[in-house]
Amino acid sequence: MAEPIIEVEGLAKAYVNGDVRTHALRGVDLRVERGEMLAVMGPSGCGKTTLLNCLAGIDDPSEGVVRIAGTDLATLDDDTRTAYRAREMGFIFQFYNLLPVLSAAENVELPLLISGTAADESRERALASLGRVGLAEWQAHRPAQLSGGQRQRVTIARALVNDPAIVWADEPTGDLDTANANEIMSLMQELNRERHQTFVIVTHDPEIAARCHRTIHMQDGLIRSEETRVAAAVDG
Amino acid sequence: MDSLFGIPLTSILFGLLILLALSLSVVGWVALRQPILFRMGIRNLGRRRAQTTLIVVGLTLSTLIISAAFTTGDTVGYSITSGVYDTFERVDIAVAHDPALAREGSPHYLTDDFLAELRGEFATDPDVDAIAGIFSRDLPVLNVGERLSEPSAAVVGVDPATIDALGSLRDLDGESVSAGALGGNRVFISRQLAEEINAVAGSSLQLFAGNEPRGVEVIEVVEDSSLTGSGILLGGGGLVGHIDAVRELDGEPEELTLILISARGGARDSLDAASAVQDRLEDYFESAGAPAEVAFTKAEAVAAAELIGSVFVTFFLLFGLFSIAAGVMLIFLIFVMLAAERRSEMGMARAIGMRRLHLTEMFLAEGSGYNLAAAVIGALLGVAVAFAITWLVGIAFADFNLAIIFHVNPQGFVIAFSLGIVLTFATIAFSSLRAANLNIVRAIRDLPEPEPLRGADRSLRGLGRAAVGALWVLAWVALVGLWAAAAFGAFLIGLATYGLGLLVLLLGAALFVFGARSVPAGRFVPREGWRPWLLWALWLVTFSLLALATLLLRRTRGWASRHRNAGGWALWMLIVGAVGLWLGGWVWGQAAPYAGGLTLVVLAAAMLAVYFGTATRLAFTTAAGLLLVFWLTPLPFSLIWDVTGDDTDPVRLIARLLPLVPEPLEIAGNVEMFFVSGMAITVSSTLLVIFNAHLLLTGVRSAGGLLRGIAPAAKMAVSYPLAARFRTGMTLAMFVLIVFSLVVMATLNYNFSQLFFSSDAKAGFDVVVDGNPSNPVGDLRSALGASGLRDGELAGVGRTRALFLRATEEGPAAATEAADFYRLVEADREFLEVAEIPLASRARGYDSDASVFEALLRDPGVAIADDAILGTEGFGPGGQLFSLSTALAASIRSGEPYEPVRVTVADPESGNARELLIIGFMEAQVSGILTQLTGIFVHGAEIEGLSSDGRIPETFFVQAAGTPSTGELEALADRIESALLERGVQASAIQTLIDDQARASTQFQLLFEGFMGLGLIVGIAALGVIAFRTVVERRQQIGMLRALGYTRRLVALSFFMESSFIALTGIVLGLALGTALSYNLLTDPAFTEGTEIAFRFPWVRILLISGIAYGASALMTLAPARAASRVPVAEALRYA
Repeated sequence: MAEPIIEVEGLAKAYVNGDVRTHALRGVDLRVERGEMLAVMGPSGCGKTTLLNCLAGIDDPSEGVVRIAGTDLATLDDDTRTAYRAREMGFIFQFYNLLPVLSAAENVELPLLISGTAADESRERALASLGRVGLAEWQAHRPAQLSGGQRQRVTIARALVNDPAIVWADEPTGDLDTANANEIMSLMQELNRERHQTFVIVTHDPEIAARCHRTIHMQDGLIRSEETRVAAAVDG
Repeated sequence: MDSLFGIPLTSILFGLLILLALSLSVVGWVALRQPILFRMGIRNLGRRRAQTTLIVVGLTLSTLIISAAFTTGDTVGYSITSGVYDTFERVDIAVAHDPALAREGSPHYLTDDFLAELRGEFATDPDVDAIAGIFSRDLPVLNVGERLSEPSAAVVGVDPATIDALGSLRDLDGESVSAGALGGNRVFISRQLAEEINAVAGSSLQLFAGNEPRGVEVIEVVEDSSLTGSGILLGGGGLVGHIDAVRELDGEPEELTLILISARGGARDSLDAASAVQDRLEDYFESAGAPAEVAFTKAEAVAAAELIGSVFVTFFLLFGLFSIAAGVMLIFLIFVMLAAERRSEMGMARAIGMRRLHLTEMFLAEGSGYNLAAAVIGALLGVAVAFAITWLVGIAFADFNLAIIFHVNPQGFVIAFSLGIVLTFATIAFSSLRAANLNIVRAIRDLPEPEPLRGADRSLRGLGRAAVGALWVLAWVALVGLWAAAAFGAFLIGLATYGLGLLVLLLGAALFVFGARSVPAGRFVPREGWRPWLLWALWLVTFSLLALATLLLRRTRGWASRHRNAGGWALWMLIVGAVGLWLGGWVWGQAAPYAGGLTLVVLAAAMLAVYFGTATRLAFTTAAGLLLVFWLTPLPFSLIWDVTGDDTDPVRLIARLLPLVPEPLEIAGNVEMFFVSGMAITVSSTLLVIFNAHLLLTGVRSAGGLLRGIAPAAKMAVSYPLAARFRTGMTLAMFVLIVFSLVVMATLNYNFSQLFFSSDAKAGFDVVVDGNPSNPVGDLRSALGASGLRDGELAGVGRTRALFLRATEEGPAAATEAADFYRLVEADREFLEVAEIPLASRARGYDSDASVFEALLRDPGVAIADDAILGTEGFGPGGQLFSLSTALAASIRSGEPYEPVRVTVADPESGNARELLIIGFMEAQVSGILTQLTGIFVHGAEIEGLSSDGRIPETFFVQAAGTPSTGELEALADRIESALLERGVQASAIQTLIDDQARASTQFQLLFEGFMGLGLIVGIAALGVIAFRTVVERRQQIGMLRALGYTRRLVALSFFMESSFIALTGIVLGLALGTALSYNLLTDPAFTEGTEIAFRFPWVRILLISGIAYGASALMTLAPARAASRVPVAEALRYA
């Protein structure tokens, strides 16, 4: 059995709004192996994004344990957890979440600068990362000057620039047309194959899920079912 | 205070109330017609409480400044007026001897006979209550029992038979005291003098006159009044004795100093009657050929007091203009940001059927909520600020016997309140109209609006249409104003012809409440006859024309709206600028429209260049650069102080190169140029920075290695402000404007203080000793030697004697009527040998200051004069003193050698005259402190022949041996004063006088600077508003950054650095530009009136200003930075 990079036990999350308590996660158990591409599916409000946020350490669970590469996130303080994210994780969001005031290259180099990488090296690696997603010639453009697909490529370049162990993707193709969605998914598969990085992808789209190694289906804050594909078929 | 800028306060108030009513009516109309919009607007107030609070704070400032200015002026004016009434009591007019009208051989004073004649003439005048004569001298007084003395107390002789009618003598309980008890050696003593020399009823005092002691006995202590020589701007009180006894001390048997007249009424309600009496008096003096003149009146003093109050208001308003301008910018910025925040909401609202006007109305409703709250708070806070200011003024005025009585004039308060509301309403209306002008799709999808200057149609024809479209807006605004005026006209006509019942009652009540007591009653148009009909017909014609114009404008609204764009406004800006330039340069010769017009022309040219396709950065960088060169080379500042242009004036240069264009006139400017230059420099520098600040990013990247850990925060801190040019530019401009004005003010104050409070003001001496004309000293060394003071303590003793004589400039350029009084000072040899008086200019043939002084010692026909004789330019004391003709003064001020100036000084009474050649003029700072150093100085001129009564006041200038400290000099002055107690001399250490004046001056300077510094609140509030707004706007981005690895600290630091970037850039720019302007001004002889000033930088004050500005900004940013760092990441990413 391959080494698990993500281990989740009894994960629960409840949001309190006044007198109303909403249970987003009700006790999730999950293991994700290093280099695995996992799709999380389910209807709106089932807890997909909450799960992803808790796994990534950007939200605190109400109960349960999340271990990333053997480290219990609960034992890390905010700064350590943040530094860990900067070093070991990449993020891809549905609405790109690029900084509008920075160029494509500047957006991509941001995680490196945060980790204390020298400016020249950061720029070099950012350009390489942009080149990897086919946007070398767009490096000086601001997000507003790029198409949706191009923006998502910049997001991917940013997610991968520090060579993270895990990439979290929340509806990465949700705002794209079919052609662009396919391209982005192919790109992620390619990177997963080449770099052996772990991808956790939240999606509504069964076609996207079908291209992952494993899919978990959530409902009412619980994992209801799980389907695994043969890697070769997925990579095919 | 009844008027401001020459306009009656009632008129200002009335105009503002109409505008206020108009503003409130618009809001009321929105509330009635569109209650849902009104509710939406008002509910927005509560959405973000911290932001609402900041907005209200920012908006209060304009009202606060105006309210503080009015209340300060009111208080100062009221206090001085009260001081005048208390001092004069029932005396309304003082008549003195007029030497110019005296007949040959007649006495050089008023006499008892003349008094009797006058009393007889006005015995039946119903407006005259009392007429009395007094005789007074300033004499040394010694309380024998207490060994306490006053070297110069007023000793006033009154006639018990006439003086009681004036009612000016009161005991300490306020009861009238009869002068009947006076006689022989019995005197009253004023409360102030009694306290100083510890005298009570029964005390024995000694007076010294003609160097002889004379004993008197105090029979009662009386209240201070003008009759006892005490009160505002008078001395420290004195004694009142029988007129014959005082004359016996030091005067002629029939001699009177003044004749005092009380007009019908009490102390405060006699001004109208006094004015009539004054007219009749002057007629009488003229017809009778009497050698008398009205020396001063209570009405003049009251008017002067009110003028001082008005000057205070004007000064505070003027220096507050920067803050008011910054306040208006803040209001505009706030509403543009609110519009940006709600852009998507507004797009949706427009999509479901809301018209643009509805959006404007919604904003107006919201703005009015902020506005009303801010105006009330601002007006009240202004009163509180004024209280603090007047408290400080009271300290500075302590030497003038002025008691500050805090006073709030309801008129001023209502004006400040109304002006604040109207100003804010106008700005809100403008920004609301701008905000409502959005594209629905772009707004909903939050896409950026296209650059306003980048019109699709770049043809001249398109530009012409755009200009007509812009003109349409102006016409519409004018039409609204005309409708309001027409409605008001109808109201007035109705009032004048018919509705004299309820209407008069309403109007009368309003006018009464706000202090207008002079309703033009009885001047209404009669109801009968044709005139009312004519009035109504005129009104009908006006109404019809307005209706027609309204119809026309409504029909063309669509066309104008389609074609209007920023290019059209730029064209109008160009036209307005060109007209200003032409009027200022070729018609009025005024710097403000000239330099301001040129600035507008250059900016408009840049806008039009962008309109026609030039790159925005290139156009605005070029324009801003040119304007900065224009404003920061000495040229525009020399315009302030009336200097003929030379080739540094680009317009004049162009006119010279193109002979078809006549050269502009000589340009004169005044203090308003301070504001104009501040605005122009601020706009230019802000544009330059905003369009080129990306270069800073390169710097940040280069410094990345150094910044390391905070490099990402630094990058964000620069990137975000540069991406939001408008809001950054506006905030930057507010900081630049306020810091610039503070730096200029502080630097000018500091340098002038350094100049006038320098050792030059001592003229080489240490102690100044004023003699008493009744007890001349003659030889100070001998007199002091006789009193036991060692001669070795005195290194030099100079003596001067001075007379006020009529002076006339001789020569072809002299004005024919330029004769007026000036001080002629005869200085002895030792004075001229010891004095260290630097000269600013010398006559041809004298190549050094020493050669001038040598000539002065040799030739009684030559003289040197102080700087004041050259007159003052701009604002400042001009007064009744003689000054040389302007052209001559200007050539002397240039510092070049000049032809000796010929003046004649003459005694108006005897006609004895002497012609003098002025061969040198002192530096201004020499006579800045000691008035004894003002005048035309001669030597060996035997000025006795020019004095009709032989009483020539003497002054001694003592140079102490060695290098004594100020304390030792004060002790020396005290020893001199006590040694010559019987002579009544007054001695002061000059350094102490300088220090006292420097202290008072610094207090005033800090007061003004503090007042101007209030404007910083605007900049700081703007930073706060932006920072809070930014946290909301960037919530999702913050979440993303945190997800990517930004720590909380880094997020907070990023926000903090972003605000700091704006604040520090503004502070540094304001500092640099303010210093540059100050340097230009202080090194320009036209500004310093020829005085050379070694420019010094006021480090302490500037560091303090910068520190406070930055410290407060940093504090203001802490809360939003903290809020940003605490944004929950997951929520922020999910819900933007």
